[in-house]
Amino acid sequence: MELDFSPIFESWRFLANGLLVTVQLAILCCIASLALGILGGIGRVYGGRVLKGTITFYVDTMRSIPVLVVIVWIYFALPLVSGYNLPPFWSAFLAITIHVAAYVIEITRAGIESIRPGQVRAAQALGMSHRQILREVVLPQALIRVLPSIGSIVSVTIKDTAIASVIAVPEYMKQSETLAAQSFHPIEVFTFAMFVYFCILFPTTRLIDRLYRRLAHLGQS
Amino acid sequence: MSSQVGQQIRGAGKKPILSYHNVMKRFGNFTALNGVSLDIYSGEVVCFIGPSGSGKSTMLRGTNALDPFDEGQVFLDGSPLPTSENEARHLRRRMGMVFQNFELFPHRTALENVMIGPVTVLGTSKDQAAKAALKLLDKVGLADKTQNYPANLSGGQQQRVAIARALAMEPELLLFDEPTSALDPETIGEVLNVMKTLADEGRTMIVVTHEMNFAKRVADWVVVFERGQVVEQGPPEQIFDDPHTERTRNFLSHLGWHG
Repeated sequence: MELDFSPIFESWRFLANGLLVTVQLAILCCIASLALGILGGIGRVYGGRVLKGTITFYVDTMRSIPVLVVIVWIYFALPLVSGYNLPPFWSAFLAITIHVAAYVIEITRAGIESIRPGQVRAAQALGMSHRQILREVVLPQALIRVLPSIGSIVSVTIKDTAIASVIAVPEYMKQSETLAAQSFHPIEVFTFAMFVYFCILFPTTRLIDRLYRRLAHLGQS
Repeated sequence: MSSQVGQQIRGAGKKPILSYHNVMKRFGNFTALNGVSLDIYSGEVVCFIGPSGSGKSTMLRGTNALDPFDEGQVFLDGSPLPTSENEARHLRRRMGMVFQNFELFPHRTALENVMIGPVTVLGTSKDQAAKAALKLLDKVGLADKTQNYPANLSGGQQQRVAIARALAMEPELLLFDEPTSALDPETIGEVLNVMKTLADEGRTMIVVTHEMNFAKRVADWVVVFERGQVVEQGPPEQIFDDPHTERTRNFLSHLGWHG
């Protein structure tokens, strides 16, 4: 069998555009799901009964539905229900974000609850308000402690962007599928796709791992 | 009772800075404090001693409303302790607290730990807070450790940073909750020396302690707790050399104290 990688080089611009969309979608999803998840985690721990219950229900629901189903539902069913048509990119963004945020909520909750009560008492004894205690004492330590889990969530989020190909978001996976079909070289194109995702994800996970090892002592009380 | 006589001489015309009247505290079925009445005067070092679980630490946590009393009244400078969380926050600024387990903030350097109170709570500028923090760390003998994180400090050093952190709020009153109980024997001395210096400056201090030598040497007034009640109070000479109650004698002899 002859391997021919020339279609990849000939269509590099086409693939590069896909990579750009993948990176954009990944960055937006990571930022939004972390922000939403951290806020949700705070609400899950400190909220009133109604807020806590709502967030718990949301987390349990999202953990019980495949992200693929969420994407397809938001793209195909939501417009029929709500009358609003979201473009494919933003449908994928919304689906991945609300899905991943559920996991971030649980991670944040675990981090906050792992902080020793004495830390809060020490901050109270200085006269800090609840808000100040959360911002200055609890949250920084909690987030450092859960950094390894956040790292896995970030890599899962980046990988999940490939699922956006099912609703024709022109990200890297979709572009690869198109090129593979047109060039009749699926082995080369998809092998190269694996290589591209690896090149994005491997350094990212190593970086977060190193960051954690450097910061870990700051979260130990 | 002669402890009453002692108290009258001790109070001599002054108003107490803290006055407890029949204070009660329960945790479920357990009565932690069962009717404690006590006066503390400005500039005094008062040591709370007694067996574990006798209510000493509960007194401290009630005093700065971290864990408010259930019944009874407490007057600070003549006004009753607040009941709302908002007012309690203002109250806590007036009292520095030092904990058994130090409770330094691990994500902050020694200097930042001392600065965090004034900067966050009082809105002091960072420059000003850093200058004050440097002075305080120098005072507790840690001028060379300002940039260390708590993980890189010994227990005794951490506790001295914690004392500096409490002092940074310029409190009227210092509360020490078994400050040396979690320390290695060789670092206890350095913490007690810092506390002795503060006592010599005339600061008002309440110290829950098992260090009887410190209590005898430094305290102006010693209060013996047992089962949530005050069994005896008086000057250290009375408590350690001539205890008036059987229960004080028993407690001290359990510790191997033969004053």
